[in-house]
Amino acid sequence: MSLYILPKERLPEFVRALQGNYRVVGPVKTEHGFAFDDISDPQQLQLDYTTTILPPKKYFLPQREVLFSYHTEQGDNGRQRIEMRPVYQGVEPTVIFGVHTCDMNGIMLYDKVFSEGFRDEHYMERREQIYVIGIECLHPCDEASFCKDMGTLTAPPVYDLHMTDAGDFYFVDTGTEKGERLLLDHVYVKMAEKEDIQKLGQILSSKWPRFRMRLKMSRDQTPALLTLGYQAKLWQELGERCLACGSCTNVCPTCFCFDVIDENDITLQNGERVRVWDSCQLYEFALVAGGHNFRESKASRVRHRLMRKGKYIKQVHGLIGCTGCGRCERACLVHITVPGTLNALHEEMQLEPGV
Amino acid sequence: MLHLHENLKTTTTPLRYDGHTSVFLPAVATIEDVKTETALEKIYTVRLPGGQNLGHVPGQFVMVSVPGVGEAPISVMSSPSRTGETFKLCIRKAGDLTGVIHLLQPGDQIGIRGPFGRGFPVDTFRGKDILVAAGGLGLAPARSLIDEVLDHRSQFGRLIILYGAKNPSEILFRDAIAEWEERDDVEFLMTVDRPDPTWFGHVGVITTLFPHVEVNPYKTVAVTVGPPVMYRFVTMELLGKGLTPEQIWLSFERRMKCGIGKCGHCQVNHRYSCQEGPSWTYAEALAFEEAL
Amino acid sequence: MATKPKIAFFDFTSCEGCQLTVIDLLQTHLGLLDLVEIVQFREAMSEKDEDYQIAFVEGSCTRKGDEARLLQIREQASMVVALGACAHLGGINALKNRWAIENVQTYVYGKNGKDAYESYPARPISAVIKVDAVIPGCPIDRYEFLRVVQLILQGRKPRLPDYPLCVECKLKENACLNTLGKPCLGPITRAGCNAICPTYGDGCEGCRGWHPEANFTYMREILRGHGLSDAEIDARFTMFNHYQFQHMGDEAPITTPISPAKDEPLPTSTFAAPKEA
Ligand SMILES: Cc1cc2nc3c(=O)[nH]c(=O)nc-3n(C[C@H](O)[C@H](O)[C@H](O)COP(=O)(O)OP(=O)(O)OC[C@H]3O[C@@H](n4cnc5c(N)ncnc54)[C@H](O)[C@@H]3O)c2cc1C
Ligand code: SF4
Ligand code: SF4
Ligand code: SF4
Ligand code: SF4
Ligand code: SF4
Ligand code: FES
Repeated sequence: MSLYILPKERLPEFVRALQGNYRVVGPVKTEHGFAFDDISDPQQLQLDYTTTILPPKKYFLPQREVLFSYHTEQGDNGRQRIEMRPVYQGVEPTVIFGVHTCDMNGIMLYDKVFSEGFRDEHYMERREQIYVIGIECLHPCDEASFCKDMGTLTAPPVYDLHMTDAGDFYFVDTGTEKGERLLLDHVYVKMAEKEDIQKLGQILSSKWPRFRMRLKMSRDQTPALLTLGYQAKLWQELGERCLACGSCTNVCPTCFCFDVIDENDITLQNGERVRVWDSCQLYEFALVAGGHNFRESKASRVRHRLMRKGKYIKQVHGLIGCTGCGRCERACLVHITVPGTLNALHEEMQLEPGV
Repeated sequence: MLHLHENLKTTTTPLRYDGHTSVFLPAVATIEDVKTETALEKIYTVRLPGGQNLGHVPGQFVMVSVPGVGEAPISVMSSPSRTGETFKLCIRKAGDLTGVIHLLQPGDQIGIRGPFGRGFPVDTFRGKDILVAAGGLGLAPARSLIDEVLDHRSQFGRLIILYGAKNPSEILFRDAIAEWEERDDVEFLMTVDRPDPTWFGHVGVITTLFPHVEVNPYKTVAVTVGPPVMYRFVTMELLGKGLTPEQIWLSFERRMKCGIGKCGHCQVNHRYSCQEGPSWTYAEALAFEEAL
Repeated sequence: MATKPKIAFFDFTSCEGCQLTVIDLLQTHLGLLDLVEIVQFREAMSEKDEDYQIAFVEGSCTRKGDEARLLQIREQASMVVALGACAHLGGINALKNRWAIENVQTYVYGKNGKDAYESYPARPISAVIKVDAVIPGCPIDRYEFLRVVQLILQGRKPRLPDYPLCVECKLKENACLNTLGKPCLGPITRAGCNAICPTYGDGCEGCRGWHPEANFTYMREILRGHGLSDAEIDARFTMFNHYQFQHMGDEAPITTPISPAKDEPLPTSTFAAPKEA
């Protein structure tokens, strides 16, 4: 849409102005790194952060989310009566600063999953109140990133505003009208001029060489590679190593599996049905009554995750299933990684790039 | 590109009953009747608010809730033809929630969401011979189809029902079975794995019934519902009879937590069993490695 | 609700920390007393009633004399719940099982300790009587206690999380201690305490026992990465779970043999030496 310029020294003022009307969250410094958190003081905002343990998905699909509350009691006829009321949790105007382009790809997938088919109002109500303010990645987060391989180094169309660091100011691209309205009434926000746009072009094109490629195949080949590699020996090896800890899925911006449980209050008459994050890496995930487990072995579970990332999500939702953010690699204590796995499969399949 | 939601019978009631918008909020239904079927199974007659029709097709399921305990997928036992203001569920006591459901009595309220899943494409079954192979509790979902065929008897060819139970005490629907055995237009065969002194019929697993039936593979549709171990063997028998993979329907059990294609539990390879299943043709199943 | 179920608390060899946790919980959740009637609780009340349905047993069985009392509890209660690591696993008490019992008695009670105090290797109560449910932890998590009581009251079978602690830890977005050079047993430990130790910066020591898929081989690799020797790793593995490893025999995923118990004096404590009895 349109391109604006926001002087860096005015950012705190801009954030403070937003705080009047919105919950403002963004990357902040923690003891050992960064995390998305509520911003009370604009100085906390670290737009040049590297990565976070959890992606901003926690604002879109909270770790624990109440779906409805219930009340049960004995009616006049002595039989159980129930009352249920839907709860829409965390629905408040929220501005999320500093979303990396990989994580925007995750949000794009979430939007698709929860709006298509049966529309999930709990997600959508919250979603409609969220403003995504992206930040262009000019440097890789660390060695674990492989966003360039996955094609997630450019911002997909989910942002309301998208910022690019240009030294002493930010370029601010508007993705939506609702985003553009956030910029209005701030005299220090100026429209970009022609030469500014040239500068933006330079910044953007000079960033690419800083990112390395890690995959031995192109991302378009991963579905075929995984299909051919379904029976590969590699899965057994990975299964032996895997701790079945679920860290890889909990930190993943494209994982959205959940469990649904009832939590009762002390009286046992009232309670809430909540959804909580679940992981296909855990033993019980595919266990059914009668004791049959459709993914009994850890090998089959590791494979299922990689299949989802490199193939299934693409098949079902038409979007990339892995953003290359590298979070699962950072979290996995036994070094099971997406690039490592795909590359090893590629070796095992002896597929040459370009085949 | 696969279109996940084509073919789905998406019902808006009672999903969004009372004007609310949450797909997770059940309708408050009332248990009208409870009938003890075996030591493990009970049949529940359920009434939606205002006696609303469930509007399902054979093979679909609902999510049954007891708030404070949880929710589980249960197949609709009633055929659409026998669903008016109430419908029936046959529920086995298998654990936590089903244990609590077994304590419920007429007048108690429960939560119902759905119907969910892709039912059997009954329209494409018309004019054909129907072979139903049901193992154990699988006869409950199968009944939604059997009764539909019986109530529109002239629209279908032969109706062959093969039923296998573990032992005589686990045999379901004795009334209905008596009727099927009586009727000339139903070919019913039953077997038990482990006989007891009261049993004078067939003994053996369900596949031992197949030599006793002849089918015309050109105009037969087979529907298989039962525990996971059963599919492979029954499918082999059906293929042996000359049926093509497209003519064989299998109903898969998977863990289900949402019923709406989001929670990921029911995935079979890339497909969501709660949405596109729980029944698949064998041809579809062949295309995914995780299926059998 | 018809009549309130009567519950009773019993303690064997323990520090009573788990019972204290229950008392603590009652301060904030008095409503629990609307659901159950407590008829025996030495830590909190002096009255005693031998008519109870649910027994919560804290502590491990460490002497012959404990057995009769346990059997009596089992006889009376329709439901027996092991309360805390001592009762659930043997816990810290089972560390003494490394040494022959006479040496332990001598160490603790002095030269005549053998005759003065009865003792034998520590065991979880499930080694003596059938246990219907477990509330793990050292000490227990008060909310888990509450959940288990609620499940029992609903007539449901209490279930524990079957997955590792890392799940809860990640949901809280804790920085992983194992990546910061601090050993943590979270990957092999059963979740349920909401990863309380890692949340406060301390590595998990496995007080809740292992989850069913605990991968000891690769847990050891991770700990070796911290520069720990195999003996040190064994010590961590057996801290709360000595009894379990003892009973795994040759299958036990440790490098130093732990049975039979060592017939040698216990090492001198760095703490105050025990006085002669
Ligand atoms: C499409 C479909 C149709 C079904 N139709 C019927 C039916 O008509 N009648 C009937 O009696 N049963 C039916 N079932 C099975 C029924 O859903 C399970 O018996 C029920 O979920 C067990 O719940 P529980 O709380 O009683 O048991 P739990 O105590 O939760 O668990 C017992 C076992 O069931 C597994 N389990 C838990 N939740 C689920 C779940 N959501 N889906 C599958 N397994 C689960 C557990 O892992 C455990 O092994 C159907 C299942 C599916 C998927
Ligand atoms: S699979 Fe790993 S790298 Fe890919 S999006 Fe998920 S966490 Fe990031
Ligand atoms: S993070 Fe690693 S060890 Fe844990 S479940 Fe994932 S792959 Fe397995
Ligand atoms: S488990 Fe721990 S807190 Fe509980 S009694 Fe034993 S030593 Fe004390
Ligand atoms: S700190 Fe411990 S519990 Fe937490 S993720 Fe790391 S290993 Fe797991
Ligand atoms: S973190 Fe580990 S040691 Fe700490 S309470 Fe939990 S299980 Fe016990
Ligand atoms: S049951 Fe949740 S996706 Fe199918």
